[in-house]
Amino acid sequence: MRLAFILGEIGSGLRRNVSMVVSVILVTFVSLTFVGAAGMLQLQINQMKGYWYDKVQVAIFLCSDGSTAAGCATGPVTPEQQDNLQTLLESPAVAQYVNDFQFESKDEAYKHFKDQFSNSPIVDSVTPDQLPASFRINMKDPQKYQIISETFSSQPGVETVIDQRQLLERLFSAMNAASLVAVSIAGVMIVCAILLIATTIRLSAFSRRRETGIMRLVGASKMVIQLPFILEGVIAAVIGAALASGTLWAVAHFFLGEYLSKQYPDTAFISPGQTLILAPALLILGGSLAGISSLLTLRRYLKV
Amino acid sequence: MIRFDNVTKVYDQTARPALDNINLEIDRGEFAFLVGASGSGKSTFLRLVLKEDRASSGAVYVAGQNVAKISSWRVPRLRRGIGVVFQDFRLLPQKNVFANVAFAMQVIGKSRSVIRDTVPEVLKTVGLEGKENRLPHELSGGEQQRVAIARAVVNRPGILLADEPTGNLDPTTSMGIMGVLDKINQNGTTVVMATHDDDIVNEMRKRVVELKNGIVIRDEARALYTSMIPVVGQSRRLKDASGRDEEPPTPGDRQPGAGEGQR
Repeated sequence: MRLAFILGEIGSGLRRNVSMVVSVILVTFVSLTFVGAAGMLQLQINQMKGYWYDKVQVAIFLCSDGSTAAGCATGPVTPEQQDNLQTLLESPAVAQYVNDFQFESKDEAYKHFKDQFSNSPIVDSVTPDQLPASFRINMKDPQKYQIISETFSSQPGVETVIDQRQLLERLFSAMNAASLVAVSIAGVMIVCAILLIATTIRLSAFSRRRETGIMRLVGASKMVIQLPFILEGVIAAVIGAALASGTLWAVAHFFLGEYLSKQYPDTAFISPGQTLILAPALLILGGSLAGISSLLTLRRYLKV
Repeated sequence: MIRFDNVTKVYDQTARPALDNINLEIDRGEFAFLVGASGSGKSTFLRLVLKEDRASSGAVYVAGQNVAKISSWRVPRLRRGIGVVFQDFRLLPQKNVFANVAFAMQVIGKSRSVIRDTVPEVLKTVGLEGKENRLPHELSGGEQQRVAIARAVVNRPGILLADEPTGNLDPTTSMGIMGVLDKINQNGTTVVMATHDDDIVNEMRKRVVELKNGIVIRDEARALYTSMIPVVGQSRRLKDASGRDEEPPTPGDRQPGAGEGQR
């Protein structure tokens, strides 16, 4: 009975205040979408770390036909130069930093290239000759890249030494900056949402002051009087959070899944399903923000 | 049922107290009028009983409990034992008669079947049978006040406080309302009614407690609105009180018996 009564009160409160409730929904929706976007960027970083960091590799690209680097003055790498490099890699001075290394021939490089870019027309215009052979090195300590780089850059037959981890770090720092921006915007929006919820609850309490006055007089408990107002705010915020979760899912599904993953096939993107782990967090965040701000507002504007 | 022990209530330190050292006891099942001019402390008295305000000093006992000692989460329990009726009815305009009365039961968690049984019974007591589905604006003032009374007593409180319940009603309708209150009182409910309505007080011949400037200047059983007997012992206090009061005399201050002669 009491539950049915409270639900009825919530319903009438929401109906009486439609425009305010809609604005609460929209503001929480936008603010939580930004929170969720920050979360998604972090998920994406973790995803890419998971994909790359266990395969950390320094690549030593060897000279090929068109190479113009200083070490390639003698033309494409010769078998002797290649043997020397391998010997150097196996020498104790270098081997102490290296877990293991693999040689990727031009044909293998072509094969990997074809796999990665199978959807791209670029495959047709590339021949094995255009791709450099390389030593792929799995470092014991990725931070020691500099040692490998110094040792090998000047060796004859080496075109360039690349730390792929460094490239990713730059990407990650950009993504971290983006998520920081998202969090800042979210912070401002959340302040907006809290104030708006407080105003809405205040209006709602004011428009129902007759009812609450009577409830007080006939001895309704504090909970029965306040709960409809609090739940009103919480419900609006939770709807906003649900919309935000849906938006994140849609971004993951349509933008990442169907667009970006085709544009950058060599990157691991999060799946739409993974964004759903953000949903409970957003719902709880939205609900508790609304609950707390409603409660504080009621303490001030609804005497019990 | 209600006991005031040396109760003083000060709203503003610079002004005189709203209630000044009141000692009063209203027994179970009693019917008492609280009379006096505006500002004499009637409403403050009622607010203290409901624990809407705290006494500045002294103790207020309701049903044997010192209300100052009731923790805030138990105040609703106190208020369930007290029904309240106001001059302005305070009905919910969008709810019909039945729903207005049922509201008082819903909010304290009474089951639907209890509500279905109790509400028509109470509406019959106040003389509103057959009008369950009317909206407040479709009722006369007297009928609206009957709905308000039904709502106040539907949870069977031990005390009914009425704050000028006939203030908005014509004399005939007022007498009807008094009949309802009297019937409720006969059923064992203690009734305390604050009023300006001398006709009603004179008609009912119940206990009259007269307040003036926060002081009880008269407490008589089976009394009239204005005292028939000159109050010798309290005349000095009365004079003191009026000395502090700069208001012009109100109709309540007219000569004893003057009201009687007109009727």
